[in-house]
Parts: sequence; C-alpha cells; structure tokens
Amino acid sequence: MGLDRRGFVKIVVGGVAGTLFTPVIWKSLDDVSIWSQNWPWIPRLNTGEVKAKAALSKLCPAGCAVKVKTVGGLPFAVAGNTANPMSKGGVCPVCAAGAQLMYSPARVKSPLKKVGEGKFEAIKWEDAEALLVEKLGVLKGQAGKIAAISGDETGTAGEVISGLLGGLGNAGYYMMPSEKFVAEKGVKLMGGSGQPGFDIAGADLVLMIGADALDSWGPTVANQKAFAATRPTGAAATAKFVYAGPVLNHTAAVSDKFLPVPPQATAAFALGLANLLIGAGAVSSASDFAEYKALAAKHTVEEVEKATGLKAESMKELAALIRAAKAPLVIAGASFGQGAGALDFVAGASLNVLLGRVGGGMTLLPAAPRAVGGVGASDKDAASFLAEVSTGKAAPGALIVYAANPAYALPQADDMAKALGNIAFKVSFSTYMDETAALCDLILPAPHPFERYDDVLNPYGVAKPTYLVGAPVVKKPVMDCKDPVDVLLGAAGKLGLTLGFETYADVIKAKAKALGADFDALAAGGIWNGEPKGGALNLGASALAKVAPVTLDSKTLALAPMSNQAYGSATLATPPANLLAVRNTELLGKDLFVQMSADTAKKAGVAEGAKVKLSAGKGEMKARVHLNEGVAPGTVAVLMGFGRSAWDEFTKGKGDNVYKILTVSDEAGTGLKVWAGSTVTVAKI
Amino acid sequence: MSHGATKEFKVTWGMVIDLDKCTGCGACMTACQVENNIAPMVDASNKLRTLSWVLVFELNNGKSGAEAEVAYLPRPCMQCGNPACVPVCPVVATEKNEEGGIVSQIYPRCIGCRYCMAACPYHARYFNWEDPIFPKGMEKALSPSTSARPRGVVEKCNFCHTRFMQAKEKARQEGGKPNELADGAYMPACAEICPTGAISFGDVKNKEHKVFDLAQGKDAFRLLEKLGLNPQVYYVSKREWVRKLGDNYAATGKPGAAKKHS
Repeated sequence: MGLDRRGFVKIVVGGVAGTLFTPVIWKSLDDVSIWSQNWPWIPRLNTGEVKAKAALSKLCPAGCAVKVKTVGGLPFAVAGNTANPMSKGGVCPVCAAGAQLMYSPARVKSPLKKVGEGKFEAIKWEDAEALLVEKLGVLKGQAGKIAAISGDETGTAGEVISGLLGGLGNAGYYMMPSEKFVAEKGVKLMGGSGQPGFDIAGADLVLMIGADALDSWGPTVANQKAFAATRPTGAAATAKFVYAGPVLNHTAAVSDKFLPVPPQATAAFALGLANLLIGAGAVSSASDFAEYKALAAKHTVEEVEKATGLKAESMKELAALIRAAKAPLVIAGASFGQGAGALDFVAGASLNVLLGRVGGGMTLLPAAPRAVGGVGASDKDAASFLAEVSTGKAAPGALIVYAANPAYALPQADDMAKALGNIAFKVSFSTYMDETAALCDLILPAPHPFERYDDVLNPYGVAKPTYLVGAPVVKKPVMDCKDPVDVLLGAAGKLGLTLGFETYADVIKAKAKALGADFDALAAGGIWNGEPKGGALNLGASALAKVAPVTLDSKTLALAPMSNQAYGSATLATPPANLLAVRNTELLGKDLFVQMSADTAKKAGVAEGAKVKLSAGKGEMKARVHLNEGVAPGTVAVLMGFGRSAWDEFTKGKGDNVYKILTVSDEAGTGLKVWAGSTVTVAKI
Repeated sequence: MSHGATKEFKVTWGMVIDLDKCTGCGACMTACQVENNIAPMVDASNKLRTLSWVLVFELNNGKSGAEAEVAYLPRPCMQCGNPACVPVCPVVATEKNEEGGIVSQIYPRCIGCRYCMAACPYHARYFNWEDPIFPKGMEKALSPSTSARPRGVVEKCNFCHTRFMQAKEKARQEGGKPNELADGAYMPACAEICPTGAISFGDVKNKEHKVFDLAQGKDAFRLLEKLGLNPQVYYVSKREWVRKLGDNYAATGKPGAAKKHS
C-alpha cells in the first residue's frame, strides 16, 4: 500500500511536533549559536596566575608609579599603586594603555640601518654597536662634532649621555624644550636658583595661569589627587581652583572659575592682578618691590581688558578671592607645556612672592648629587641648537637622539627635520618608529618601560625632591632591544672611556645611594623624598620691565596649541587604545578640527566644518573648523599630537601637526626662544 | 520579570559619578577597553562603529567667554532597575536576575537583532560590526577577564562582572560572606583607575558603603529619571545646568522642568 496525501501530512506534522518535544533541536540551536561565534580568528584568552608588580611607567612625561597586572607572566593591564604617595592609586590615560603599547605595531623590532631614503634593513646588535663606536670614534676629541638631544629630563640616563659626550671632548647635550627649562631661567631672573616646585596639596586657592595642571602640566596624577582631596564628593570643597588660559581645557572644566586669557597676554594678566592686589594693600619685603609696584601700576584693569578681553569685574573678583585665601598659590606655564617665555613664568611666580608664599606654596628644590661625572645639559635647548645647525653655526658630524622626537615636536617642525639632514650620522634610541627615528641612519630599539630599569628624579612641579625607580616587569623584552644606557656604556668602554658603570641598573643604584635612598624599596614601588631648600626670591621687576605690550592685528589669530594627555606626547603617538577617546569634533577620518569661538570664526570668515589652512612662518597646516565657546577671543586652539608621518596605521596621516606653524621669536631681555605667543593666519580653502 | 516593574535585590551595585571631579581625561575609557578586550579600531572617529562600554560625553552650558562652562560625563551601562533592553530581547540574551542587579549580556545567545540597542535610551549598547582583530602580538596582552566577542553580537558594560565573581570567591576563601562584600572589595576597572576618584562604586542599599549616602545627596541625580527605568548609576554635580541636562527635559520638553525622583 502506497503513501497517500493524508498519510504524508500526518508524518510531516507528527515529525515536526515530535522534534519539538525532544531536546535535540534546542540543543542543536544552542550549539549552532555557540559554534557560530567560535571561529579560530577570535583571539583566546591567556591563562595562568594573575599577579601585580610595581613598575614605573615613563610613557607620560612625568612618569606614573603603577602596578602592572600579569597573567602567566604576560602584562595585560595597568592599575594604580595605592601605596605610592605620589600617584596614590591613580593612573594617567596613557600609562593605562601601557601593557598594550608593549605590542604596538610602531615598535622598532630590531636594530635598523638606513639603506636609502625611508628604507632600513635589520642588522645584528653587534654590527649596530660596532657602527656606533666607529662613527663616534672618528669624531672623538673634536669639539662641537658630537651632540645629543634628549627628551628625558628626569632620568639619570642624561648623566650617562652627558658624561659620554664629555669624555669624547664635547659638551653639546641639549634637552627638548620644557617647562622646567624655562622655569629655572625664570628663577634666576628672580635672584634664586634651582627647580621651582608647587605645593598644590597645601594650598586653599590655586590660580593656574596657562598651566594645565590637571591634565598635562607637571606630575598630573599627583596634581589630580591633590585636587580630588579638596573635593570630597557630596561635601563642601576645601580649596578653590581658578584657571586662566586660552582654552576651557580639562583643568578649567573642573575649576571653580575659568578666565579666558589669550596665550600672549598671560604676563599682562598676572601683572594686572598684581596691581589690584597691591592696590588692596599687598606689600612685599622683596628689595625690588617699589620698582615692581610702579611696573604693575601700568597694568590697570582697563589695560588688562584691552590685552585679554576680560572685564574689570572678573579681575576684581579674582583679586578678592586671592586676598580671602589663607594659602594661595599661583602656577604659571604655557598651556601646552613648552615655548612660554621666562617672563611669563616670572610674572606668575612674582605673585607668589607678593603673597608671601615662597617657601610655603612655591618651593625651590636643591641640586641633586650626580651619579656620573660631567657637566649636564647645555644652557640652550634643542630648538636653539637645531636652529644653529640649520644656519651652519653649529656643525656636528654625529647626533645621538634619546627619548626625543625633534623632527616632529619642535616649532617649524619641517625646518627642524631639514636641519637634521645637515648632520651626517644620526642615531636614535627609540622604542617606537617616530618621525625622528625615520630620519636617522641608525635606529637602536629601546625597551618599553616595563622591560627596563629607569628612574625619575624631580618631575617638574613637585613641591619637594622626589625620586622613583622602576625595575623590569617582564624577564625578556618583547622585541630585540637593548637598554640605550647599557649600549652607551658599552660604547664608552670601547672608545677608551671609563664612566664607572656597566649597566643602567648600576647607575640607578649609585644615584639612589647618592641621594640616601633605598634602591630595593624604590624598585618595589616606593618613593624617596627630600626637603626643599630655603631661600628667598625677588619680584623679578627688572626682567618684567621688558614685558612687551600685547598687540594683535586683525588679520592674524593667536595660536593656542592644546595638549590632551590621552592623545599622546612628542615621543608617543596616540596609543591605539586611546583613539576611542578622541571626539569626532576633534578628528574625523583624517581631518583635524581647530577650535575657535563663533565670534572669532565670524571675524575670520569661516563657519563650523569649514576647511581652512593655517599658516605662520614657512609652515602651514590644513584642518576644519569646530566652534567652541571655551576658546579665548581672537584665538584658535589646535590639538597637539596629530599629523604623524611615521608610527603606525592607527596614527599615521591623521590630522596635521601644529608644531609646523609655531613660530619662534626672541624674548625681550632674556634671549630665550619662545613660541607660546605664535600667531597664525586662517584662510578658507 | 514583569514589564514596567523594578526588580528588587538585596544587594544593588551602583555607581556615583562626581561630575565636578571628572576632568574628562579618558583613563576610564582606556582601562575599560583593556579590561574588556575591546580591539582598537584604525578609524575610531567613526562613532557608529566604535565600542565604548564607558563613554565620556562633553557637556557645555551654551555660554561663551568667562561664562562658558564644560562638564564631562562618563556613561557606563546604567544597569537599570527596570531595564528597557531586557523585555525586548527575543532570545533572553540579556537578563536582570542576579543578586547585585547587574544587567547581563550573554554573547553566545545574542542573535544580533539590536532591538536592545533601539530600546536603550542611554545608547549604552554597541554592536560588533567587525571581528575583534588585534594588531599582531597584542593578543598576548589580552585580559583574562573577558572573552573576545565575535562580530554580529551586541555588547555593553557589565560593571566588570568578572571582578564581582572574583570578589565573591575571595570572600568565600577568606571565610567572609560573598553576598555582603565590604566597601571597596569589588571595584570595576573604571572606578579603580580614575585619577581624581570621581567614580565611587558600591552597594547603594548598604549603609556601610559610601555610595549609600552619596546616591541620596541633594545634588545627586540620574539620567532621564522620568523614563522610570530606575538606573543604578547616579551622578553628582553642584552645577545646576549640569543637573538639568541630565534630565534632558524629558517630561515637558522645556529646560528646567521640575525634577521628580522615581
């Protein structure tokens, strides 16, 4: 008997109903959903014991004392070190990405020798070191023929580099521009010496003029912790914070008051404030008070309004706030951490003198003992040095670049990169393939901070002498790299010099000993603190007499480079993990947005989203416009850290580099090269 | 759970974020990416494709010059008491049924229909448009806490749930009570790393936990409270304009509408 239609339907319906009562179909669906997500290209997690080890992360300029979490010995995350009194468990956004940066595609994987324009070949370490020794050996004893540029102002590595140069008959050890460099010059102009420090934790009113203290000025995490301690959630604040600067930045966002002050008018603003304070009865026993008082008197509220656009009431309110404070503190700096003149620093610091806060709020740190003999860094910075190289005034035959990126991060960056071309042999000790490494003849890969010994002495801004040490977290570096200091010490030996050490770890141990610190405790995440030295400062009146009146023509805008720590620094392009934090009103695709207020945009004839060209000096950059009412009038704010030409797919070619349009001028009376007051023309394209 | 009702738990993990302390530095976003194995994107400016379990919004008061103010608002998943995402999920891939009140997201169950994303008024849910491809070698720095999700599934913040399980396990090992964790015993990565301590975390129903008082402070508020989703994330700001923005004028469409706690 055959199967009729009714029988067929019965079987199908019965079959379907039957399967619904069995777990087979449901189990299969479950398996399908699991296995359809279980592809071999989905990365599997690492297994093993999870541990946390204290480390010093020098990925950010100040250095963060952190704990690195490892699984089966592999670092995977960075957490705060709550036991360290400086970081108190906080971590900056760059160091937070530290473990992933060990595997950044931009890392230099082995020693590289240049074989053509933009072309490198991997070579063995012994060949690389032999080449280094050969090139330095040829120039040994010829003054001015070997120079070094360093971007690390806190590490003892600098002593080894300057010691090596000294042994080779050279003294050209140049630091990349920084706040510390300018501030020390400022202190000299005030009759003192040493690195100034600022006790934010001990102040009940902090006025930050330019200095972006809660994001990118000084030891930011320590500053943030000091700020946070005055702001218990749900209770009254115990200190006031005021930010006066060109942009409503991260610091201004949480400050009690933001006063928009164009970058070229910070000294005038500070002197205007001094005038109001003196008018309200402030006096100082400093020898130059009479001169200072007369100078400040020129900066009336009307004059300040002309220079800054700030109304008289705002200034008077601020003066009243300062007078009411028991422990006010003024911190002056460039809003982007460099390029300000010493006079800007002096104008701000003179307020601390006027308020009787030197020694209490503003301190001076004593010179630290050296571990390696030598003279230290030059009186000129790397920008001045490369300017001399470009004109032929300086003609080194070999240049050592350590933890610095001068081809990217100096004003008129394209000219600086060209100046590097005048030097026959350039060697870069770099962890990453940055713009400067890409121009060098030899690249010697440096370990990532979790792979090496390193130290931090007195990061700029700390109120008392501070020393931190970091030991490697991993047994072996991920790439074929060697510690630059070990390489230089080895080279020194082959060149017949005796610096007294064989490894960087030995140098750091000696440094700790010289300071009277316990190396082992420091390497385990501890801290060493000394005491600031005493000493008074004058008001710097004779220097301040040179403060130039602020003039802005209608065709140009003041340029305010804006630093955002999460987006990296001169020596670190935005970490891949941090790209998520970049807003699409800051970077969209490959377009960088420059920011200005609606009024300023109207005057410049541009609107939201417009494509513009910014030019100054020989440099120009392209961008789009984003309106931001937090930018001071007549000012265009440009984020730093973009426009990379080396690095990796995550950063290369995105946006443009603001350093290209920073223009250098000579500061009246101090001879310093400054670029914080750069102006630009903005044209629609 | 029944529709429209808040499911009560003895322990209710919550966050109180002090917007007057948040500098917008972004360390929380980085720590979250690291903890939860979110692969970096080459073009992260395409915000329709990025995965931001915690996203720091920038708010401003619309004024200019010395009157201008900015606030930063980190937005994790609100772990709503009465979540909009849970009832719309056709495959029960997201649930709120565990002690602690964390809204789960079960990736192997998720079919990628994205109803939950449409339902969530906080835009806290993200769809994986791409497979998680890490730069070569970077997979060695994967966190052991969270499995990497394939493309085609929705994901979101879960208050670093693995840390919750680890804290309970530790309590068990030490002879404590896993359902009565001490303040600070369990802390998501964002709260742990925040350099200004703007993010407080704890059991909002436990008087021993500092978030208990903070969540009831006079300046505390929640986002879009009038929707009645009863979020477990609270914000604090002394600035009135910030509190008003948090409310987003949902009831009347006009700024400054009277606030009503649900």
